[in-house]
Amino acid sequence: MILAPVEYCRPDTIDEAIEALNSSPDARALAGGQSLINVLKMRAAAVDLLVDITRLEELKGIVRHDDGSLEIGAGVTYAELAESDLLAGDPRAIAQVAADTVDPQVRHRGTIGGNVCHADPINNFPPLMVALGATMHVLGPDGAARDVSAEEFFTGFFTTAVEEGELLKSITIPALSDGASVGYVDLEIGEAAARAVAVVRTEDDQIAEARLVIGCLPIPTRRPEVEQALVGTPVTEEAVAEATAGAAEGVEPLSDADATAEYRKAVIPVVAKRAVLAAAKGGHRG
Amino acid sequence: MDRSDTFDIEFTLNGETVVATVPARRLLIHFLRDDLDLTGPKIGCDTGHCGACTVLYDGRTIKSCMMLAVQADGATIETVEALASDGEMTPVQEAFHEHHALQCGYCTAGMVMSATYLLEKNPSPTPDEIREGLRGNLCRCTGYVNIVEAVAAAAGKETSE
Repeated sequence: MILAPVEYCRPDTIDEAIEALNSSPDARALAGGQSLINVLKMRAAAVDLLVDITRLEELKGIVRHDDGSLEIGAGVTYAELAESDLLAGDPRAIAQVAADTVDPQVRHRGTIGGNVCHADPINNFPPLMVALGATMHVLGPDGAARDVSAEEFFTGFFTTAVEEGELLKSITIPALSDGASVGYVDLEIGEAAARAVAVVRTEDDQIAEARLVIGCLPIPTRRPEVEQALVGTPVTEEAVAEATAGAAEGVEPLSDADATAEYRKAVIPVVAKRAVLAAAKGGHRG
Repeated sequence: MDRSDTFDIEFTLNGETVVATVPARRLLIHFLRDDLDLTGPKIGCDTGHCGACTVLYDGRTIKSCMMLAVQADGATIETVEALASDGEMTPVQEAFHEHHALQCGYCTAGMVMSATYLLEKNPSPTPDEIREGLRGNLCRCTGYVNIVEAVAAAAGKETSE
């Protein structure tokens, strides 16, 4: 497929990139391109200027701060996440999810920033970012900078808090509390029919703290009632199943070629249970 | 900072310097095949799924239908045409031949590039690691069995050499 005529530029600095993004309402940042190039092929978006941010060193780093938090540049690829020594410690789930993203070729180009900014409901990082309590650092024109929590970052179907003319610079992920682990489970039918991410801390074989996020939804959604129900629950399949039985209440999944909304609602409690159990047993993805 | 719908680019392709002027909207695969006559990389799905267009970009496999030609500027790109020299096939190519790891052959150029990259990173992969390494390359004829055998055989050859 041939793209519609478009202009292109390759800025050397973030400031230049933001200036270019503000030069036209139809300018778009081109990161790894593993989604955007297809959007352009389908001519599904009107884009008159592609601002290539793939070579911006300022978007590239992974840093472990003194407080144990990790800051990941928006331009870091899945392959770089999967291979980073800094991610060998907690939360390992970031490296594991990155290593399992699509295939080697996509991992060599696709970036964490592109993944969250594209905000396709089936993308794998949005629910993980919400579960880990990440903070997104967004830059705007004239030196503007603001922080948006992952919970507020995802605002709808393919839509985020990043406004026209803004650019996601990096993502900070706080250290997990002592003894907490991440469980990440999806049901791979088509791309993914349902997905749940849990962060759980146990004490004496009981759940002491839990955070549960349901993915494959227009907005990755926390389930506070279920989180509360999980506290004090023994780590057994029966008890966790009971506590997560309402995981799909109030959420509205989409119907698409992979699964109907009804089916998704039926399997959400199953992946939620599995994610909580995986987290409670020390972290695992499956 | 230049902003334009056409760009002058310079990059290294299969060991040679290429200088060209490309429209910003040109995909790398179209540039390689239609402008430079390198028809090894194929267009299969044109949506980034099948991997028939796989090439090495700065030493790493990428799908050339998911990149712009202008992004080749300054890079080193290798296509399947870079592998055999003076009619001598590489161990991966030889193993594909010996193990009949193709039927129609349409996916082969991409498969061979992914297999070559895999063995560079992991010279003795397990069958599961081979399958994972080829996850981005679809074959609709072989059922993959002979492909996995070929890559395992190529790994054996490379380590015994």
